[in-house]
Amino acid sequence: MLSGKGFKQVYNVSGGIQAWQSKTAVGDQGLGLDLFAGMESAEDILKVAYSLEQGLQDFYLSMEKRAKNSRVRSLFSKLSEIEVKHQLSILAAYENLVPGKISQVEFEVMVTATAMEGGMTTDQYLDLFRPDLNSEKEVISLAMSIEAQALDLYQRAGAGMTQEASRKIIHGIANEEKAHLASLGKLMDEL
Amino acid sequence: MKWLQFLTPVKSIAYEETREMIARAKADEITILDVRQPNEYQQSHIPGATLISLPELTDRLGELDPEKPVLVY
Repeated sequence: MLSGKGFKQVYNVSGGIQAWQSKTAVGDQGLGLDLFAGMESAEDILKVAYSLEQGLQDFYLSMEKRAKNSRVRSLFSKLSEIEVKHQLSILAAYENLVPGKISQVEFEVMVTATAMEGGMTTDQYLDLFRPDLNSEKEVISLAMSIEAQALDLYQRAGAGMTQEASRKIIHGIANEEKAHLASLGKLMDEL
Repeated sequence: MKWLQFLTPVKSIAYEETREMIARAKADEITILDVRQPNEYQQSHIPGATLISLPELTDRLGELDPEKPVLVY
């Protein structure tokens, strides 16, 4: 259907979703998009993204407290540090966009964390994945599921953006999530 | 009748190749197209996939960029 309508490269994924062995995303097309409602400017998108990263960092920190196994605790701690790095890169992108220096504290006042990465709340994630908090593999798997969900949300949000600058920003963040997902996959392989 | 659409072969790619293509491409360089029904998409989909179910595809082709590679499932 597509190849006859001017689409130059069309590939059929053999076996469809059943053959897909990597993480999938769940939810309808609108899941989490309310977070971006009315946020058309690139500055606003960075604020939303920052709050989502912050939400996930808080989640990992609270999981770190809950975990009894010391290796799992240190894994959660590492995961939360990665989210801090993401936050700093979002802040740097904001500083590039908006003239004038802004401190992290000042920036944080402007953002409100209503959900975490992927557009779901902590409880929704735990209900959905029910991880065994004593198993490193399960924790990495949970993190990969969240990153897959986040990647999906950023791409869906980007598709609906009308401003080119905003689309670029959100695709940039999506690419970071993609790289993060790949590095978690490597970490999983090393266990 | 557009005969070309029946004559143009569509290449099938396996999981590994699909995963590599998606990993290599930047977020806006590729289209992952989910042509299943909305409830199937809701249960599980490839992250970043665009949902246009098969019955709607002909009417909504304009939403897709013909210049980008499209991975369909």
